[in-house]
Amino acid sequence: MEKKDHILYDKTGNPSKEPAWIFRTYAGHTNAKESNELFRKNLAKGQTGLSIAFDLPTQCGYSSDHPIAKPEIGKVGVPINTLEDFRILFDQIPIEEMNTSMTINGTSMWLLSLYVALAEERGEDVSKLQGTTQNDIIKEYLARGTYIFPPEHSIRIIVDMYEYCLKRIPKWNPSNICSYHLQEAGATPVQELAFALATGMAILDAVKERNCFTHEEFEQCVGRISFFVNAGIRFIEEMCKMRAFSDMWEEITKGIYQVKNEKYRRFRYGVQVNSLGLTEEQPENNAWRILIEALGVTLSRDARCRALQLPAWNEALSLPRPWDQQWSLRLQQVLAYETDLLEYPDLFEGSRVVESKVKDLIENANKEIQKIKEMGGAIKAIENGYMKAQLVKSQAERLAKINNDELIIVGKNKWKEGIPSPLTNDPDGGIFKVDPKSAEQTLKVLSDVKTRRDAKKVAETLARLEDDARNGKNLMFASVECAKALVTTGEWADTLRKVFGEYRPSTGVEGQKLNLESDKVANVRSKVEKFQKATGARPKIVVGKPGLDGHSNGAEMIAVSAKHAGFDVIYSGIRLTPEEIVQSAVEENANVIGVSILSGSHVELAEQIFSELKHYKADIPVVFGGIIPQPDFEKLHSIGVKAIFTPKDYDLMDVMDRIIDIVSEKTPVLR
Amino acid sequence: MTVRFAEKELKELIQEASQGEKYPLAKLISELEKPDSFEFRKVLFKELENSGFNGDRSVTIGFTGTPGAGKSSLLGEISTNFLQTVPDKKMAVVAIDPSSHISGGSLLGDRTRLSLPVREKRIFFRSQPSQLELGGLNPYTYHVIRLLRCFFDFIFVETVGIGQNEIEVSKLADLSFLVMVPLGGDQIQFMKSGIMEVPDAFILNKCDEESLARASFHTLSTTLEFLRDIVPGGSIPPIFLTSVKTKKGIQELLDFVLKSKPHPKRSSETKVQIEKWIKTEYGNFGLSFSEKLGNIPQKNYEDWESFFQSEIRKRLL
Repeated sequence: MEKKDHILYDKTGNPSKEPAWIFRTYAGHTNAKESNELFRKNLAKGQTGLSIAFDLPTQCGYSSDHPIAKPEIGKVGVPINTLEDFRILFDQIPIEEMNTSMTINGTSMWLLSLYVALAEERGEDVSKLQGTTQNDIIKEYLARGTYIFPPEHSIRIIVDMYEYCLKRIPKWNPSNICSYHLQEAGATPVQELAFALATGMAILDAVKERNCFTHEEFEQCVGRISFFVNAGIRFIEEMCKMRAFSDMWEEITKGIYQVKNEKYRRFRYGVQVNSLGLTEEQPENNAWRILIEALGVTLSRDARCRALQLPAWNEALSLPRPWDQQWSLRLQQVLAYETDLLEYPDLFEGSRVVESKVKDLIENANKEIQKIKEMGGAIKAIENGYMKAQLVKSQAERLAKINNDELIIVGKNKWKEGIPSPLTNDPDGGIFKVDPKSAEQTLKVLSDVKTRRDAKKVAETLARLEDDARNGKNLMFASVECAKALVTTGEWADTLRKVFGEYRPSTGVEGQKLNLESDKVANVRSKVEKFQKATGARPKIVVGKPGLDGHSNGAEMIAVSAKHAGFDVIYSGIRLTPEEIVQSAVEENANVIGVSILSGSHVELAEQIFSELKHYKADIPVVFGGIIPQPDFEKLHSIGVKAIFTPKDYDLMDVMDRIIDIVSEKTPVLR
Repeated sequence: MTVRFAEKELKELIQEASQGEKYPLAKLISELEKPDSFEFRKVLFKELENSGFNGDRSVTIGFTGTPGAGKSSLLGEISTNFLQTVPDKKMAVVAIDPSSHISGGSLLGDRTRLSLPVREKRIFFRSQPSQLELGGLNPYTYHVIRLLRCFFDFIFVETVGIGQNEIEVSKLADLSFLVMVPLGGDQIQFMKSGIMEVPDAFILNKCDEESLARASFHTLSTTLEFLRDIVPGGSIPPIFLTSVKTKKGIQELLDFVLKSKPHPKRSSETKVQIEKWIKTEYGNFGLSFSEKLGNIPQKNYEDWESFFQSEIRKRLL
């Protein structure tokens, strides 16, 4: 039979069709019970895998009853305190049949331990468990901020998990290198390639150094590494990026790590398409953006993702409602089941344009990898602040391009006029809000468990965990025992904090410059100068990032642009308490406090900040920035917040202009 | 210009600041950091003296060294140990960061590396932009330190220094440290060029690893030995090996600081600072004129400032 180029054949030579990728939605909120219902509904709608979002306390290793957790319980994901929460979360869900992805990093070992403990409790064959714990601690230091321990200890935990999984849960991906957030933090395709692959090499080097595997076992470990990649709006380039990833990973695993088995060299990856480019303005346009971005990672067979999750059209506004998630799932189903996408061999094989672009990306990424290698690898490039500073720089450049219209964003800096979207006209404002009372249920489960459990056993398992951590033993075994003894997330993490310490990485903002010279800059600088002449001092701003939300881009951009405008800026990185931020502002006698929050806890945090200002009898104006829905503006103003900035306020100099006006207003001579 | 404080208000601010209230102290510092603070200083320091705050018993400690030597993190560790082990004393930190040459603005990031307890009245932290001043000090640092001395037992001043200008802080410190990292070949070169006369002690920070630390210690002490002849008195300053990671040497360093005494003659410090101010304001002309006036006797800074101001102006006219 003559074979045709446009027909896809299976191994036996019969015409076939590619199976669809795994459809996931990144989901979880409120509490374990509500999330369980959501999961079951999503699976009934044709979703084929689970992707669990955890709330920030769970990600950062705090139990829900810790003071820092309070404003965040159930906000951006599900809170998990003990095995009891997992029992509720997976109620009536056959975990042995699921492919479960957990977006969890600092506490990934703990969550995997809970999953294993649950499976054992249910009497399932643990070796059948399939899924991924994200566990890419490097991108947490760089972009997302939910790290706990210093790099060397974090890497040790990852290697422990590889060692444990290899024998006991061989189908589990113990870590997943996540370059997704690097792009969200501003990474160019070249940076995304280079930083992700350098991270992969750092993990492989650490696994090799442990020297606990035969070469055959090491190859299997290489085969367990998966990637989680971002797909942006420049979808041709993004498709080429995926092809470059595959080629480069093949070269790295074959050349450097001598992996002989072809299967283990395959670049396996899941995708969430880009949220950074989604706009708050004319949010319905985001639907098209999401579709186009999805094409980049599905169009070509050789660079097709294994699993895909799409954001919702209204993610730039706030949390999506179940209906919004359903709409995103439907997009995947239309693409996979209605179109002929899965019927063809690779469409771009032999394309000169694509080949040349891929080659170009590879060359540049290799140069960047070489640079990182010369520094001593990815961990060193984190510790010395190189990677972070590069990302802050790229992000600043991207924003500068939007500001001067070099980068067009429809509805934002071009074709801004439009009819308001009927989609946001529902009584709920088109967005989802977590019921503030829902935390009670989580806290009740937690306190019940605490009274019910065997305290002696808890103390024993935690003591074993501490011993094992000090003596360099594999921590998975003690962690699973802790899970079964109903130890809490906070207790597990605190025990390890005691041994490993807590980490504060470089903020990446020192030495940054903005290439922004416009009338606006001149205008703001002249106001700054006027302020300085009148008061004898430069305006001083404390840029604060309170709570557990580690998305520090916004805060960093504001810090860099305030300096650019001529302010004296005090910025101390993420995970500060409102008390710490106010203390800084008081000691520095700052003229204004700028607070950045993306997790939705702005109201609670504003209340805490103002009560602390009251303690010091300090009258310092406060402005807020972040993903803050319009309906909350009034509340924030009533608490005392002077101005609120949202993603709509993308022009940094406009923001600085309003801030200098607020500062000047406070100064009698300028009024 | 700006609204200064009324007499009663100033008294209140001073009283509150002396009780460890942070906001009143912060406000007083901000006034000192303004270019036209002369009148305010006169009133403030007179009022402080009348209220019995003179700062004579307070010790000022300078920390200088190239960027990346880990000065802030080291100070963070020292503060933690200080608060735990010296319950009856108070300390303040002034951290100076460079300003931008383009906008004049600055990013003051030293708090990042110090995790300070909240609402603790025994410690006060303040950042200062360098204002493009050479030597890593801000033009007003001296006055801020004079104020802090009235309320705190130990004042730590952290400056970024590159090259010879690193030594500037030693002119107003009772005890100054040069913070280095192990195996800094360049730094040894640079010490040979003269800076080694200035610090009272050296710190080899980031000594996380024992053998590297020991090797660097020997290199440094040999170099110092070699240069002993030019050190006044011929004694070699002590060298501390520290690591923030392993907590090595922190308590020893703190003990050394706690044992040190304020400089017996603050008037010589006043003289140096007056001369610095004259040089900034009137250049070499002013300086040559001031030399003719001979030694400055015990008198406060502001009196001397106004004295020179009027004398020099007289000659200029």
